[in-house]
Amino acid sequence: MENRVLLVAENIDKRFGITHAVDNVSLTINAGEVRGLIGENGSGKSTFSQMLCGIYSIGGGTFTLDGKVLHCRNQVEANNEGVAIIVQEMGTLSGLTVAENIFLGHEEPFMHLGVKDTRAMNKEAQRLLDEYGFGRIKAGNMIDLYNFEDRKLVEIVKATYMKPKILVIDETTTALSQNGRMELYKIMDAIRADGRTVIFISHDLNEVLTHTDTVSVLRDGEYIATVNTRDVTEDDLKRLMVGREIGSAYYRTDYGEPISGEVVLSVRDVSVPGQIDHVSFELHRGEILGFGGLSECGMHEVGKAIFAASWDRTGSVTLADGTEINSIPTAIAHSIAYASKDRDNESVILNESIRNNIVLPSLGDLANHGLLSGKKLTKFAEKHALDMQTKMQNVGQFVSDLSGGNKQKVVLARWLGKGSDILVLDSPTRGIDVKVKQAIYALMADLRRQGKSIIMISEEIPELLGMADRIIIMKDGVLNGEFLRDPALSEEDLIAKMV
Amino acid sequence: MSNTVKKDQEPSKLRSFLSSDTFKGLLPFIGLVVIVVVMNILTQGKILTPKRLRLLLSQVYYPMIVATGVFFVMTLGSIDFTEGSTLGLASIVISKLSFTSIPLAILGGILTGAAIGAINGFFHVKFKLQSFIITICTMFLFRGVCAYLTTETAVPASAAIKALDQNWLKITITVAVLLVAWFLFRFTRIGNDVKAVGSGETAARFSGVKTDRVKFLTFVAAGALTGLAAFVNVIKVGSITATAGNQLETQILISLVLGGLPITGGAKVRFSNIIVGTLMYTVLNNGLVMMGFESQTQQLIKGVIFLLFVALTIDRKALKVIK
Repeated sequence: MENRVLLVAENIDKRFGITHAVDNVSLTINAGEVRGLIGENGSGKSTFSQMLCGIYSIGGGTFTLDGKVLHCRNQVEANNEGVAIIVQEMGTLSGLTVAENIFLGHEEPFMHLGVKDTRAMNKEAQRLLDEYGFGRIKAGNMIDLYNFEDRKLVEIVKATYMKPKILVIDETTTALSQNGRMELYKIMDAIRADGRTVIFISHDLNEVLTHTDTVSVLRDGEYIATVNTRDVTEDDLKRLMVGREIGSAYYRTDYGEPISGEVVLSVRDVSVPGQIDHVSFELHRGEILGFGGLSECGMHEVGKAIFAASWDRTGSVTLADGTEINSIPTAIAHSIAYASKDRDNESVILNESIRNNIVLPSLGDLANHGLLSGKKLTKFAEKHALDMQTKMQNVGQFVSDLSGGNKQKVVLARWLGKGSDILVLDSPTRGIDVKVKQAIYALMADLRRQGKSIIMISEEIPELLGMADRIIIMKDGVLNGEFLRDPALSEEDLIAKMV
Repeated sequence: MSNTVKKDQEPSKLRSFLSSDTFKGLLPFIGLVVIVVVMNILTQGKILTPKRLRLLLSQVYYPMIVATGVFFVMTLGSIDFTEGSTLGLASIVISKLSFTSIPLAILGGILTGAAIGAINGFFHVKFKLQSFIITICTMFLFRGVCAYLTTETAVPASAAIKALDQNWLKITITVAVLLVAWFLFRFTRIGNDVKAVGSGETAARFSGVKTDRVKFLTFVAAGALTGLAAFVNVIKVGSITATAGNQLETQILISLVLGGLPITGGAKVRFSNIIVGTLMYTVLNNGLVMMGFESQTQQLIKGVIFLLFVALTIDRKALKVIK
């Protein structure tokens, strides 16, 4: 690592209404450094880096890059100053080709008298894609043809081809499979070797420890510390993030408990065209059944199919009493709950209050002869939101204001309020910080003890090993392996069945 | 969990109040008072005379009934452009049936409206057509039917139905519609479901709301209410011409938006939007007529006011989600 300072952030500040998202943060980053930026949800790390990249306006303070003060009003201006970002959520635009996405805002080299030279643009884009080793992505195709992961790869090309001085990677790895992650790590290493800088934001502390040189920690918008990665352990980082000791009881610690013989749900020959093919399995009472696999293996669709949310499902999903689950309202009425991986679109109604999100599936139960009492709804929502320790001002607050972890708490509060006995949780801790993760694991263990059954679909292998009584691995839409809970089970055992 | 909200350095109280939801909720009421006062000054006090007020009131009834139905449609985040031609066609049906039996005429009007609503709802739900597109199509379609039925001559209504032109009856119907709709919106699942679809349809579906049914029935109900409004229209005008209900759809749209209804629908709608909006529009319209503006100028002024209101009240956060 050279000892040349590349970026100086001085007294950076940002407020959203009454929330002080970033509170007077100052830090410096050297050239040729990979800097981890960690903190719980709502700690301000995304807001901080998005101000650097011109996505948010700077509330206060200055960023100085290579001796020059930055005043970026948008991402294109930031790109021109040598700052690029890969964002957490979808950062490519539908309806454009891969090449158009890569050169969005930087079309000038391909313009002749105001007319775009599509062929030259596609050629250059394809050259870049090939150079990055993503040659299977075709520059002239519409971006819509590609899945989430491939679109992330296109974003990586878009953010890095112009050799930015600083690349911000904001929680991108959660969207990537193992292969995709490896590609990203390679690019990070290349940037470091080139004397440029990466700001790497991730909740996966393991990944932060293996791929960064230094780590800065934010908590509640405030700067806490910067440490050398080789001097710290995962527990040290957790302590810095949370501000207190995190117990070692992160996952379940019990082993060898038998699974009940009582079947609560049978899935028979369920298929969804292009997604899953003749999937059959049984879920037992008081069991946590894990589903794992690569992100396109079909496991996410299994969750939707059980909840009858797939558009064209065949086969049957049956409860112990013989009830067929063929529509979402039937599923809910028969005690099935579903928390989607796509939390913002499929789980919570963002532009609605916490209260109305929590009561929505329970309205039928809460009505008295068809009549709803506002007071009763508020009380119900308050009880369950507080049971989940949701961090909020009051239940009238809109869900769009909450961090990812708190949104997930609202989702869980809703289904616990409904009293569901079968919970289908797709990626329950996706993009969620350590403290809330721990709370969710504890809750799952608790629900299991109460005799509720949980299907946990997860892309995190440690989570499957740590929480599930039984793990089913899927590959290309079919079941490809089954494991029982066992301390001797390793990540490699599962991965072998995934690929 | 500790709540670490710091109170220092908050933006000035006035500014935070001006950007608060409370203020946005009050804006339509303030707008109503402002429009009444301004119009009263511009017309040298002629608006607030008993005779004028009675006239104003007589123009409020049927738009308010129609607006109630459209309110639900717009809460869904959808839009309905068929009110004008629905009102025209339902008025024709009512007039023709009024020679047979008046209850039958009312029923016929409501069913006509409901049927048009069902067509809109069917195409919207089953073919996943945007309500904007489908209702523009049906607007032209039924406007054409109206024109066809009135080419020879205006359609007259029976003397018996014209004899019903009593203020108390019109007030009773309007108030009854508002009360029932308010009750359903506020105290039953219907209001919650409609709002949930407007705020986030996918998430609502995943929470057990029967979104397709909710959308279909809302369009049917809006059509039926327009059919009922047609009855109030018939007893007032007595004979139906090709222009019956002309441009009613824009009148209702402007009224609801003036009343503070976010055009994105969803959680932030308020039932008062209907009443405040319809009153504002009527006062504005009458004031402009009394000030002697030509109808082109009136349209221009209304357009400018409409634009200002949408710009002031629109929920930009919601727009981002809808895209």
